[in-house]
Amino acid sequence: MAPVLVLWLAVCLGATWAVDRGNFKTCDQSAFCKRQRALKPGESPYRALLETMELTNTRLTLQLINDNNKVRLLLELYRLQGNITRVKINELKPLKPRYEVPDVLIRDPPTEPLSVLSQDENGVVLSLGAESQRVIVSVRPFRLDIMEGHDVLMSLNSRGLLAFEHLRMRKDTFSYKVTSTVASVWDNVKRVFSSQADPEAENKEEADAANQAETTKEEEEKAEEGMWEETFKSHSDSKPNGPSSISLDFSLPGVEHVYGIPEHADDLKLKTTDNGDPYRLYNLDVFQYELYNPMALYGAVPVMLAHNAQRTTGIFWLNAAETWVDISSNTAGKTVFGKMLDYVQGSSEIPQTDVRWISESGIIDVFIMLGPTAKHVFSQYASLTGTQSFPPLASLGYHQCRWNYNDQEDVRSVDAGFDEYDIPYDFIWLDIEHTDGKRYFTWDPHKFATPKEMLQGLVEKRRKMVAIVDPHIKVDSNYKIHNEIRSRGFYIKNKDGGDYEGWCWPGNAGYPDFTRADMRAWWASMFAYDQYEGSMENLYTWNDMNEPSVFNGPEVTMHKDAVHGAWEHRDVHNLYGLYVQMATADGLVQRSGGVERPFVLTRAFFAGSQRYGAVWTGDNAAEWDHLKISIPMCLSLGLVGISFCGADVGGFFKSPSPELLVRWYQTGAYQPFFRAHAHLDTPRREPWLFGPENTALIREAVRQRYTFLPYWYQQFYHAYRTGEPVMRPLWVEYPQDPATFAVDDEFLIGQNLLVHPVTEEGSRGVTAYLPGKEEVWFDIHTFQKHNGAQNLYIPVTMSSIPVFQRGGSIIPRKMRVRRSSSCMEHDPYTLFVALNARGLAEGELYIDDGHTFNYEKKEFIYRRLSFSNHVLSSVNLVPDSHFTTNSWIERIVIIGSSKPAKVTLKTADGNESQLEFDFDASMSVVTVRKPGMNAGADWTVTLQ
Amino acid sequence: MRFHILVIALFCCGSAESRKVRGISSSYKRFYREKKSFLCIDGSKLIPFEQVNDDYCDCADGSDEPGTSACPRGRFYCTNLGFRPHYIPSSRVNDGICDCCDASDEYNSHVRCQNTCWNLGQRERAFVEGQMRTLDEGLRLKQQLIEEGVLLWREKQAQLRELQQVAEDLQIKLEEHRRKKHEADRFKEQTLRALKGEDSAVKPENTLLNRNKDESIAPDEVKAEVVPVHGEERRLSDDEAGIKDAHGAPGTMSSEDPHLKAADRVAEWEATNLKKVEEAYETVNMEISDLQKKLDIDYGTDWEFLFLNGQCYKLTVYEYLYTLCPFSHITQKSTAGTEVSLGVWGMWAEPAKNRYNQMIYENGEPCWQGGSRSTTVTLTCGTETALRSVKEPSKCQYIMDFQTPVACQPVLKQRGVHSEL
Repeated sequence: MAPVLVLWLAVCLGATWAVDRGNFKTCDQSAFCKRQRALKPGESPYRALLETMELTNTRLTLQLINDNNKVRLLLELYRLQGNITRVKINELKPLKPRYEVPDVLIRDPPTEPLSVLSQDENGVVLSLGAESQRVIVSVRPFRLDIMEGHDVLMSLNSRGLLAFEHLRMRKDTFSYKVTSTVASVWDNVKRVFSSQADPEAENKEEADAANQAETTKEEEEKAEEGMWEETFKSHSDSKPNGPSSISLDFSLPGVEHVYGIPEHADDLKLKTTDNGDPYRLYNLDVFQYELYNPMALYGAVPVMLAHNAQRTTGIFWLNAAETWVDISSNTAGKTVFGKMLDYVQGSSEIPQTDVRWISESGIIDVFIMLGPTAKHVFSQYASLTGTQSFPPLASLGYHQCRWNYNDQEDVRSVDAGFDEYDIPYDFIWLDIEHTDGKRYFTWDPHKFATPKEMLQGLVEKRRKMVAIVDPHIKVDSNYKIHNEIRSRGFYIKNKDGGDYEGWCWPGNAGYPDFTRADMRAWWASMFAYDQYEGSMENLYTWNDMNEPSVFNGPEVTMHKDAVHGAWEHRDVHNLYGLYVQMATADGLVQRSGGVERPFVLTRAFFAGSQRYGAVWTGDNAAEWDHLKISIPMCLSLGLVGISFCGADVGGFFKSPSPELLVRWYQTGAYQPFFRAHAHLDTPRREPWLFGPENTALIREAVRQRYTFLPYWYQQFYHAYRTGEPVMRPLWVEYPQDPATFAVDDEFLIGQNLLVHPVTEEGSRGVTAYLPGKEEVWFDIHTFQKHNGAQNLYIPVTMSSIPVFQRGGSIIPRKMRVRRSSSCMEHDPYTLFVALNARGLAEGELYIDDGHTFNYEKKEFIYRRLSFSNHVLSSVNLVPDSHFTTNSWIERIVIIGSSKPAKVTLKTADGNESQLEFDFDASMSVVTVRKPGMNAGADWTVTLQ
Repeated sequence: MRFHILVIALFCCGSAESRKVRGISSSYKRFYREKKSFLCIDGSKLIPFEQVNDDYCDCADGSDEPGTSACPRGRFYCTNLGFRPHYIPSSRVNDGICDCCDASDEYNSHVRCQNTCWNLGQRERAFVEGQMRTLDEGLRLKQQLIEEGVLLWREKQAQLRELQQVAEDLQIKLEEHRRKKHEADRFKEQTLRALKGEDSAVKPENTLLNRNKDESIAPDEVKAEVVPVHGEERRLSDDEAGIKDAHGAPGTMSSEDPHLKAADRVAEWEATNLKKVEEAYETVNMEISDLQKKLDIDYGTDWEFLFLNGQCYKLTVYEYLYTLCPFSHITQKSTAGTEVSLGVWGMWAEPAKNRYNQMIYENGEPCWQGGSRSTTVTLTCGTETALRSVKEPSKCQYIMDFQTPVACQPVLKQRGVHSEL
């Protein structure tokens, strides 16, 4: 519409189709990564100073010294509740404080006491409590080994790649000379006046002497390129603090499979990085990203899981600066462990994965989660950073988005289209064009002149809306939001102290400093109904561009020397997006007086972002490979706590063929966040625009989603309680079956649904791996039974979505699909009871009001459904819970059952009644007709 | 809660007994006559009559639950007394949204629906009456425009024929002048050759001049033919010819020869004349092809759209001024002043069906990500001819609503409100 915008986009972003790799740094172009990577495995210069060891109830501290430059580090070791070991390493006396990531841990992790098992001049052995777990601290060279019984679970610095660039004065400047002269004069003065009797002073003297020695040593170090200044393309990074990077290696004996560290457009199983760049974690707005490479994307979660058939462990590297992760799987670094370990050493044939983390600044703060199972790791990680927020039920429905729905009339007609074609949906979305000139919290005065009228129209259909609010604020003295942020001094500053400004959608824009709690509180207050004009209860929020995206910045993001109070942007970069979503979600909670659950979608994220809402995989493209990659991308996010993940259905850039669009709906219907989205320049693609056949196929996919909403909701409740992913890789449930370890073209929803979407063009069949030797799987459409531990070829047509229910599970569904999830609130349930080989099945039924925080007050129904000995029963799992529902049980489908003679219902009051049923002999399915009991009641149904 | 359900069940059965099965039209009542059992309408299953509208789906075709939301493919009949009856999907029964204006779909839900059928009916009747008036007026205007269209068509046809006649005449003239020029050139050649060979006694110019006198040189004739075509007087005047003559290469000996001079002059005359005829011929042909192109366009069965050709219609939407010149082009001008083409006349959509309700304009200004701007113009019936709305649902793809009497179709008149009374 606006040729100006088009032109501006063309100028800003370039009009080519693939990512312009030249816009983004390789490790070689990132000075600290290059310096660190030049360091090869070998003997570590670090030595543990056992005489400095202090052990308190909660932690062990110990100094480390670098024998090359005499700089001392302080090691802190904690044993945390739930089988987690925390290792912190900082400079003993940094020139100025180094950044420690705040607000990511949900609390100070509770500790458990450590005890020394043995100690000599070579090291210390500490007990980690249960299961004969120990940490061995070796002195020279310094290393840590975590053991269980005879097995080494993980070794730190075993390859000698602990590297800590200490903060230093710049030597070639005048101020350095002045400062150091003054300092030594001051030292002399102090010495004269200090009390002779003070032993500490003497110690200090020694330390000072050591420092002086260091200084001389240091001066011999040659200053490498990029330490004090670095340029990339036309951007220069002033680096006032000089080099500050850190690195540490981890060896994982017996491990061949590592996962996690999203976000990358790559396979689920991480690859070795020996012949290319490391995986990069640096939140970036990558225009038209490419697949199958380790380049950084919009979000970063520095968590890696390591798995073999015996054990799953995790590493959480809590650092928000630019980070690179190298993975190799050779056997290097397996040196002698010391006398405690000698007898442990297995043969060198044991596979091993070596991992190395490199970050640009901050400290080493790493949480080693010792499992032993994946589910333990999930709960360990959840104990640190929290679990997935429990989303409003409606947000698990279908979302219709487009850049852009042009005006209120457009919104009205798209809404009407869904009714005309009888396709359910819950949310319609407005992208940036809905605002008055990209001023967020405002509406275009012509196109969206009466937003409340529009929102009321949606209320009447029991539907909702999401409008975008990005963190870049148009610099415009007539814009209230800008004026307030400026006058309160809430903008991020540039290196010279002025407000940082960059180019984004509105043109020149400022970036609020979301790292400040007072700024976030103010931002949250802007979502109040009387502040955000035109907003209503059914308006929710989307945070885009929060990497942050700066069109004219280095790598399309903010300059690293921009200033957030005491810290540089360099220190906090990966955290920015989390803070934006945190403040926005807080705003949505506050506007309802703390009653209503928020819904906020974010593009950028960090460890802990799961607490604030949903994430999508950014600006993908309408290509088959992008459909495929949506599976490993969301699986990787789920493994590190972020369950509410989805990819733009249809692909954001370019235009999908009808076949691709249909397949994408079929896939998206079985992924957690289900939203169609499209670029401004693409033709319309509402579900009914591709002919009646495709409309019917899309309708069917969306309707399947809605029938499973009770199950999805229950899975999210479970994720909220446990931190377990909703969409999960097969290996999580079948950890001993190596055939599952690299599977990423199919996935599980919870434990009970296995989905193998069709992601190939012109496909006539897919081969799904059905895991579990003891398992049976039932096709959810035909109820056909298949045995586990086999590759099953499934012929497919355009209407096929291969989904299987695990034998042994009970899944509640609502089969009356209506216009929106709210319309289905009081509808009855159908229970799908799929029997396993032993004739058993189990499941849960969770019901609450769907949108408030009252579930925290146990206002819910939470029941265990179990089938054994031909009896299906419903038992209250939380006796002190209180909630009533109008929903009832309308049908029970028992799959894999023999034909009963009669079916009897027994209710809590002891009444018995006979129920009608049908039996399908070909698939062995009993369908019990209208048992009719309330979904919240106790009852049993007996097949005789 | 169980009590609640029982109440519903009783209520349903109660109404069944009173011969009123919820959610069916009168034409379907015969399927629901109360007997011991009910046969699903598709004949697939026989169920006890109590199971009709008992909130459980027994029939694959949904026919046992016309009044509840139990069947996924069922439908509910809104009687809507006072307005138009219609079916809604079963999934809209008791979903908390008022769909039937008689509120019959929300008989067991938390919403209180008002019966709005009477108001709706009135509004609809008023609307339809208005539409009828518009249609009557539109059709009357259309008839006029058709008559005018026919006249215009004939006029254009006549003009075409006239032009074709002129072209034919010019063709003949053209041949003639080509021949004359050829002769004049040859004569000049001969004279020149004769002049070089001085001995030659023959003075060929006499014959030429004589002949010139007899047959007279063509300019005036050419002029006579060209004038009606060109509509302006444009010829080489005698004076001009004289001046050219006077300046005719004096210094050389040969050019001073009177014979040669005359031959030269004649040749030049002929060349000029030929050029003029050629130009005239070209112009006429261009006009013919323009007119033919215009007449090749499908203006509807009665040439009723012909009058639009040559007109332009404007509409301002937000910051843009749109101009539609039917059968020609569409532009968009921003307040900043830049004008962008949204397409040039392409075709009627669905021409084979003779449905003249959508025009397609294509190949406008190129778009950033490839392709070019295009516009689909939908024609609707109205008493005035005007551009009513412009939208850009997808980038670079515009849709316009264009109102004109010639889009009025008599079939519309047959539709009206039938209320079940």
